[in-house]
Amino acid sequence: MLLTDSDIQSIWLTAKLASVVTVILLIVGTPIAWWLARTKSWLKGPLGAVVALPLVLPPSVLGFYLLLAMGPNGPVGHLTRALGIGALPFTFWGLVIASVFYSLPFMVQPLQNTFESIGDHPLEVAATLGASPLDAFFTVALPLARPGFLTASIMTFAHTVGEFGVVLMIGGNIPGVSRVASVQIYDHVEALEYSQAHSMAAVMMVFSFLVLLGLYVWRPSALKMSRRD
Amino acid sequence: MELSMTAKKNFAEFTLATEFTVTGSRVGVFGVSGSGKSTLVSMLAGTVTPDTGEIILDGDCLFSSSRGINLRPDQRRIAMVFQQHSLFSHLSVKNNLLYGFKRCREEHRTIDFNVLVEVLQLEDILCRDVTNLSGGEKQRVALGRAIMANPRLLLMDEPLSALDDSLRFQIIPYLKSVSSNFGIPYLFISHSLVEMRLMVDNVLFFEKGALIEQSSSEQLARNRMGQSPVGYINILELSSMTERNGLCVYRWQGGELLLSQANSATGSGLFELSSKDIILFKKHPEAISARNLLQCTVINLFESGTKMGVELECNTGRLIAEIVPDAARELDIVIGSVVHAAIKASAFRRLATTQATPEQIQ
Repeated sequence: MLLTDSDIQSIWLTAKLASVVTVILLIVGTPIAWWLARTKSWLKGPLGAVVALPLVLPPSVLGFYLLLAMGPNGPVGHLTRALGIGALPFTFWGLVIASVFYSLPFMVQPLQNTFESIGDHPLEVAATLGASPLDAFFTVALPLARPGFLTASIMTFAHTVGEFGVVLMIGGNIPGVSRVASVQIYDHVEALEYSQAHSMAAVMMVFSFLVLLGLYVWRPSALKMSRRD
Repeated sequence: MELSMTAKKNFAEFTLATEFTVTGSRVGVFGVSGSGKSTLVSMLAGTVTPDTGEIILDGDCLFSSSRGINLRPDQRRIAMVFQQHSLFSHLSVKNNLLYGFKRCREEHRTIDFNVLVEVLQLEDILCRDVTNLSGGEKQRVALGRAIMANPRLLLMDEPLSALDDSLRFQIIPYLKSVSSNFGIPYLFISHSLVEMRLMVDNVLFFEKGALIEQSSSEQLARNRMGQSPVGYINILELSSMTERNGLCVYRWQGGELLLSQANSATGSGLFELSSKDIILFKKHPEAISARNLLQCTVINLFESGTKMGVELECNTGRLIAEIVPDAARELDIVIGSVVHAAIKASAFRRLATTQATPEQIQ
């Protein structure tokens, strides 16, 4: 039940991918969630549906369209080539972009729910105490939403770790570049290396359990933290 | 403070349309639920925008639809105390208090933090988590936070409605300190006439989104007596309790009043007595079950709806009794008449227990 160098490399790549995707989604997802939580625009419905699409779409469908878009003849592919970056499919950053789209609802929806539950009132109170809208966002909304950020980050990280279909479509199976843990397990099974597959699967199982345990155990303490000065 | 407001705001099933100018440092907005009080203060605070109109505070235009002016809430220097305390749960009591102060411009900072803490009696809870405070403590912190923002006007939107009766009247001296100790004018919103009389001098009375009456709080209470199911509420400050024959004896304006123990609890305090609970006699009755019989002089008579208000001077204290015109004719009541007022010992209801400085309340 020992992990090979290749297994460890895939686990490291998975952790790196999930970390980068979580950080990017914290930056990108927060304003989207804030807008969806507070807007009265008719665009809220359509944009909310677009954000939630990865929840219902087969990963291969999302992967297929992303592959087309990022491919040499796709609009993103044209852009990246014009910028001198080259083609993104089958690269780590191609995988990152695909994962960002695929995990978007796991960041946006918990944050949107949190912002909606906070409501307008604390922000109005802050405004009557002299806080500008941006000031109120950073000093009231964000601290109050801390438990939501914790949940969203854990969910996003865990979901990215478990990706398979989109990874295979966009990243392929290149060791050290796009062979993440789920693809490594698939490889072991295909090669009838059940002992290796067991080891990797056990690691993934323990990781998933710990993530959920963290969510259930740390969340109350995060709530307390958010109330502290 | 001089506030001039012309505003119209349409909602799906409600329209607020008002025009008034009011001066003074203690102004009230009175009305039943749904009369437009909260919409009015939200427009003043800037969290609701009128469809049309103009809001001018001490000569500064806060909103003008014709001139295209609409200052954001954070630009108006109008702080607010809400029904629910609305404290920031992620900050300690001290940092809640300092939230507005840190955002206040240097030249506007006149409130001393230590003085505020002393006046509102917050010393012992400064470092505490706001989620562990009692209802009264939370409301005092919310009040302190609004005061520390050094506003030019403080709006109090039914700040007592979420508190139970005993706590409500204990908080009033703190609310009044906004004007008396810190010199900040306030606009107090409530549906309670008793609160209005304790808190403000001038009142704007709203009904169904329109301003019905603008008068003193005392005058409004008298005008409303005939329509109110509880009549006019006499507010009495009673002190020095002793016990006699199972009843509590209180001193009141040089005389004494007997109260049943169930309604008097313990110690000096502020009590209410409805004008409907006072019965007038032309001559001293021979025997009567009511335990309080006061000889009084009629000093004023006024009409309110179908009822008649009789203002009485008893010893050095004053009471208002409510009678129907027929009774006034039978009693031959005119100003200067001497009558006897009977009050049951159970008619008094304690509003608050007063401590060393009861004058803070009245």
